[in-house]
Amino acid sequence: MIKNNRPRIYSKFEINSILFYATMILFIPLVLVFTYVFNIEYSFDVKIFLLYLLGITTVITLTGLTIILVKRDKMKRHVKATYITEFYYLVTISIFGVLGAIVLYNYLGGPQNYIPNIFVILLVLFVYILLRLGRKYFNLKYTKKK
Amino acid sequence: MKKPKVSDEQLNRIIKYLAIIILSFGIVLLAIQFNDFWGWILGAIRAVIIPVALAYFSALIIFPLIKLLEKKGIGPRGFSLAIVFILTVGLIFVAFYFLTPLIIDEIKNFFADDFPTIVDYITNDLRDEFIFGGDLYDQIVAYVNETNVIQDTIDQFVPSLIASLSGLLLPLLTAFALLPILLIFYLNDYEVISERIRTIIPAKHEKNAAELGSRLNQTVGAYLRGQLMLMLVLGAVATIVYKLIGLKYYFFFGFLVGVTNIIPYFGMIIAAVPPIIYTFIATSGPGPLLVLVVNVVLQFFEGNIFQPLIMSHQLSIHPIVIIISILFFGSLFGALGVIFASPMAASIRVIYRFFSDLRKEKLKNNVAGANAP
Repeated sequence: MIKNNRPRIYSKFEINSILFYATMILFIPLVLVFTYVFNIEYSFDVKIFLLYLLGITTVITLTGLTIILVKRDKMKRHVKATYITEFYYLVTISIFGVLGAIVLYNYLGGPQNYIPNIFVILLVLFVYILLRLGRKYFNLKYTKKK
Repeated sequence: MKKPKVSDEQLNRIIKYLAIIILSFGIVLLAIQFNDFWGWILGAIRAVIIPVALAYFSALIIFPLIKLLEKKGIGPRGFSLAIVFILTVGLIFVAFYFLTPLIIDEIKNFFADDFPTIVDYITNDLRDEFIFGGDLYDQIVAYVNETNVIQDTIDQFVPSLIASLSGLLLPLLTAFALLPILLIFYLNDYEVISERIRTIIPAKHEKNAAELGSRLNQTVGAYLRGQLMLMLVLGAVATIVYKLIGLKYYFFFGFLVGVTNIIPYFGMIIAAVPPIIYTFIATSGPGPLLVLVVNVVLQFFEGNIFQPLIMSHQLSIHPIVIIISILFFGSLFGALGVIFASPMAASIRVIYRFFSDLRKEKLKNNVAGANAP
């Protein structure tokens, strides 16, 4: 039997689902990273702010999930050969998400000395996940030489 | 009979090329005699080219948004243009409104808190920490005092700086004042202008010219949009990381990373120098090594992750070409030439690729024609 080496092309439904879940997982760090730069933590109680953020994330997740499920059939009919723009979006939110996770760690009172270690571990983890996702779903062989 | 080493055809060609070279030298020599006239003409061309090029590059960034709105049924052109224009102006205004006070505050704080410390360090403590020893330091100070070299340099440098700045300021101000007006007209009649340009071109070259124009718009537009995204993302990441490592004036240094990123390769180096120097002198905050590591990591991310993703393989330009274009366009158009060196290099690359493709196609057609029965 001839082995089929052709990669499977995923529909917009799968790609948009990945992007949506990634955005929602990283939503709190993403917001925190920008509030941190503008020193919003001095204006609010961080824990209450985090609680509000959690509530907002839940609402957005439920709404988004409903929209994705409603538009499921329509999105399944759309297919692209590669999803470079979508992958670029994923990389961008991942970088800000990693930084936001550090900010979250800082807000929650973690020792400052471990920040570089956590940063490196998170970065390696994210790079690995992104490479796997890029290869499998976005049809982007990033490490392959041109 | 002995065959001549050079055939008549080759001799004819050599004479033709020699005549062209001598004539070119003659024309250059003649042109040099009217230096003032050419300077005047070139000045006028430069005054036109700068605002038109700025409008063209800005249109390449904005036009896809207008097209997107029109695709969604938001039209006519005037309406979609108004939406995009108001949004762009609003975004620029909001960015200036929120970011400018922060950056100005940081600059003010630097001159109020750190600048006196730096001056004090240079005048009092530098001698003890001078890496080449106190004797050499004394000799340098004595030389500086005797020859008055600093004052002389300032006396020479400041007037020329003011002259070049004032020379640059007027065309820049004119360009930025004209930009919105030019942009509105250009975007409103985008297709009409392209069509008018097409009508100037002789009919036999029209197809090729249209193809080249479309490739240029596509490539340079993608390059500019990518570069803008890169500047925004890197500027934001640098600001956040600088704050995380506890660097003072993180807004200013992060902003510097974003802005200087417009100059490929040199930009990140230029942006890394001020924070590293600052950390050498600052009494608190991170060490210079940490700031250097942060910048190296940022450079790595920019070169290996963002650049290949944003600027696809087709848009990648060899570093040597970019460096040469920065030097060339920088000397031609000053600061604006340095900023727009990479899109110009991208344009030249597209033109080169186009003609190379055209030649290949012609060769293929010739071969196919020769093989035809």
